[in-house]
Amino acid sequence: MLEMTIHENSCRGCQLCLDVCPTDCFVFDEQTQKARVAVVENCIACLSCAYICPSMAIRHKDYHQVKNFYRNIEFSSRMEKFL
Amino acid sequence: MSGSKVRLNTEWLCDCGGCHVAIVDLHEKMLQVLQSVEILKCPVLTDEKDYPEADIGIVTGSVRTEHDREAAIAMRQKCKTIIAFGTCAVYGGFHGAGLAHSREEIMDHVYRHSPTTKTDTLPNNSISALGKMVTPIDEVIEVDLYLPGCPPHSHFILEGLSSLINRTAPRVHKETVCAGCHRVMKKTAVTEIQDPTSSYADGETCFLSQGFICQGSVTLDRCLAPCPNHGIACSGCAGPTMQVLSEPTRDLRTEISERMSRLTKIPYETIKTHLEKSAKTHYAYAMATKMIGNKPTFLIRKWIAEREAR
Repeated sequence: MLEMTIHENSCRGCQLCLDVCPTDCFVFDEQTQKARVAVVENCIACLSCAYICPSMAIRHKDYHQVKNFYRNIEFSSRMEKFL
Repeated sequence: MSGSKVRLNTEWLCDCGGCHVAIVDLHEKMLQVLQSVEILKCPVLTDEKDYPEADIGIVTGSVRTEHDREAAIAMRQKCKTIIAFGTCAVYGGFHGAGLAHSREEIMDHVYRHSPTTKTDTLPNNSISALGKMVTPIDEVIEVDLYLPGCPPHSHFILEGLSSLINRTAPRVHKETVCAGCHRVMKKTAVTEIQDPTSSYADGETCFLSQGFICQGSVTLDRCLAPCPNHGIACSGCAGPTMQVLSEPTRDLRTEISERMSRLTKIPYETIKTHLEKSAKTHYAYAMATKMIGNKPTFLIRKWIAEREAR
């Protein structure tokens, strides 16, 4: 089951995730002035929100990862080593 | 000294020395670290000229001179785990901007036409020769761990060192500087890019929303966001985020332009062109790494040449 979470402290309330999500998974919470995941079932794991989020606060778990053939393999292999 | 302590070597290459000061910034926590660590070589603490055998080797600074290259190789030979410590070691750092100029230009500017000195002599063979390129240390030696930051905040240093000593997974996050910034990001009707030298930014609203260029959203948080929280836009000192580094089509300028054009009324192309014109400033910290330099859309030498020809 796909999970999508927004790290609450990191959200700056810019609503860019609401703008880019093709399946309207997010809502904006007026009270906290932060985005919130409303219907995770709609998520198609396009990861648009994860990429647009200025804080990189949106994480997806248990989704089918489509590997980009153009991704920089050399560097991707080093990412595990970042402290 | 107890034999069971973890032996630590540190060495600085081409850098300002700030990373070593950042280690001292551990303050009282330094005592906690010293309970399990024995420092064998540290340029600011010990008079050790040689490279003793050690478990952990912290290397700060990039490789610019012949001495840097030899020191990096000696550290690799004597240390079991090498940490590329600080932005210079990981990405080449600020002096990566030197790649936009020839060695002759740099030597002339520093020693012959420096506005603050009157000498006109180039140094002789008593100093190590300037290398052809500025390179991050992982192009010279194998690196086991990376800790970017200019310098990395002591929070991340302690977390990194203690996880290494205790053999646990480090609890560090991959979020950007924006994640630690308190400014509110909102959509505005700003139509022009603002110049930070001639106008003030409001302290409560995000710089991008106000039309100021800020690199917070494309910079890995290894600093706990002190600059934007104190009125200065992020200059990207901890280096790019993972998505900028791993995806060849994503770049500092495209990422900033995309977010800023959605937050303000400034067109995407206007912001992108503005960033290209000031490329030497905005790419300064990570220019020397191949991860940025080899991007298909990356034309920094061309942008800088165009800028300086005017």
